[in-house]
Amino acid sequence: MLSRTSLKLLFAFAFLLTVTACRSVPKSTLDGPVTRNLTDDAGRRVSLPFKVDRVISLAPNLTEIVFAVGGGAQLVGRTSYCDFPPEAKSVAEVSDTLHPSLERVIALKPQVVLISTASQLEVFTQQLQNQNIAVFVTDPHDLNGVFRSIEQVGEILGKKEQAAILVQTLRQRANAVEQAVKQEQPVRVFYQLSAEPLYTAGRGSFVTDLMRRAGAISVTADLPGDWPKYSSESALAARPDAIILPTGGSMGSGNSSVTEALRQSPAVLQGRVYKINDDHLVRPGPRAIDGLEEMARALHPDAFK
Amino acid sequence: MSAPARQNRVTLRKTVISCVLLAATLLLAVVLMSLVGSEPLPVRASLCALASFGSTTCGLTPDQFDILFQIRLPRILLAAAVGGSLATAGAGYQALLRNPLAEPYLLGISNGAAVGTMIALVFFGANEWTRPLFAFTGALLATLAVYRLARGRAGATPERLILAGVIVTTFLSSVIVFVTTLMDATRIRSFTFWLLGDLSGTSKTMLPVSITIAIAGALTLTLNARSLNLLMLGERDAFDLGVEVGRVRILVFLVASLLVGSSVAASGSVGYVGLVVPHLARLSLGSDNRISIPAAALGGAVFVIVADTLARTVIAPRELPVGAITALIGAPLFIYLLKRA
Repeated sequence: MLSRTSLKLLFAFAFLLTVTACRSVPKSTLDGPVTRNLTDDAGRRVSLPFKVDRVISLAPNLTEIVFAVGGGAQLVGRTSYCDFPPEAKSVAEVSDTLHPSLERVIALKPQVVLISTASQLEVFTQQLQNQNIAVFVTDPHDLNGVFRSIEQVGEILGKKEQAAILVQTLRQRANAVEQAVKQEQPVRVFYQLSAEPLYTAGRGSFVTDLMRRAGAISVTADLPGDWPKYSSESALAARPDAIILPTGGSMGSGNSSVTEALRQSPAVLQGRVYKINDDHLVRPGPRAIDGLEEMARALHPDAFK
Repeated sequence: MSAPARQNRVTLRKTVISCVLLAATLLLAVVLMSLVGSEPLPVRASLCALASFGSTTCGLTPDQFDILFQIRLPRILLAAAVGGSLATAGAGYQALLRNPLAEPYLLGISNGAAVGTMIALVFFGANEWTRPLFAFTGALLATLAVYRLARGRAGATPERLILAGVIVTTFLSSVIVFVTTLMDATRIRSFTFWLLGDLSGTSKTMLPVSITIAIAGALTLTLNARSLNLLMLGERDAFDLGVEVGRVRILVFLVASLLVGSSVAASGSVGYVGLVVPHLARLSLGSDNRISIPAAALGGAVFVIVADTLARTVIAPRELPVGAITALIGAPLFIYLLKRA
């Protein structure tokens, strides 16, 4: 009994050695299946095959990233919300983000499933791991987090260079915006995710970071949570000078009018209510930079003349 | 003839006294809860402005004035209307079905109203008037379904009624789940919040409607309380005693469904109000519907006002759904009442 336990321990130790060895030195794929380890945003060490050519994305921002780093051909499954780029629509659907069809996911034989935020389904993760499918969690809370997601996806798909180039271009665009608005007085902004009930962007949301970079101060920047529900009277008392309405993308015509409590706010009285494509503001992907530019141009038109 | 007449006079006096006391409590709750919220307001100036019914600002800044009269007070009044409606409806169902557990939420009637509201939202999104109308229809259909399911050959036993309620609730829940999965992701979040009972979306156009329905409903049931008392003896006995059973039954069905429909359309399903409040009313004032129905109406208003004040202040400036608070208070209170009874 004792010897068996120690044998197990020995194996575990040996395995650990192999794994750590694999991390740094990519071995040739000739001698069987070789794995590598990557740490995801949930702090899990995920073991991945070196060559990933079948991946499923369970969030629209991740689908956009996969295509943006040139990995579209490796994408074998996506959610019903993944509608960009248009090519994504020809990829098989595995239901929506919250209730993916496990059977369909497994039937598509992915090596990796990409998930946005750790809140998504622990049981689900366990079942996929039992099928030898790696689950990689992304959870960006600011623009650098978005860049990290892009680099991680690039690394997983063997598109490291493309990802690096993409991040570099996006970073340059972000820096250009920040330079342009640097001399401008920051605008006190309220971000209205939905009017009824009133939801906004909190401390943990990457769009709060985007607003800061766009030369704005979100009046709810210190609120705990990513997308908290907000008190109408606090919104009124905050007297925002501008209001951002994410609308017109996936949201359609939803969220296109300001909540009742803010109808007399300085923002509305001065006509500073800006509608920005919601797909650019709620999806932490490459198009977040479009959202950043659109917000900055709306808030500081003089800085871009 | 003189003994019952005296009896009636005593009941009337008891009703008037308890209603006056509860109405005073309600007024006090409205005023006091207007002073608390996520934004602090100066107490004296707020009281002065409230006492003047908003005709003077009493030194409140325009923003503070708007917070008090455009946001906080309408929400408190809606809470009162919703609480009053649900408690009255609960008391009505309990008398009609001769079952102390009959409650709009537990019988699936709130779910019926919720499905109605969803249909109105999906097909006539912009038109607010369609919501209470569809909610009323949904509540009425759910009530009829429960009633028909509960009536076996041996009549509606309490167990059958609760089982029927469970069936209708779960069936309608799955309808709700089905419809929500067809919605887009951002709407689902707002929707689940609303389903749990949420008063933050108080609509100024619909507020007078909710209040009118609450008052009219409570008055109608109170005026028919004697018939309800007799109905509680059993339908055949009631008939023998001269109650038009069919008429009263239809009246209570319609009024209670209207009350549930209007409150669900305004605020989603706020649970346990219709159960806990009439129970407390009967426990403290006796089971005479002439007293317990108006008392439940006023008490329900106070209960939901207090619960919603908690919902909007405990994690301010963020908010909780009020339904979570009423269930959190209601369920343990109900267990306590059951054990005591």
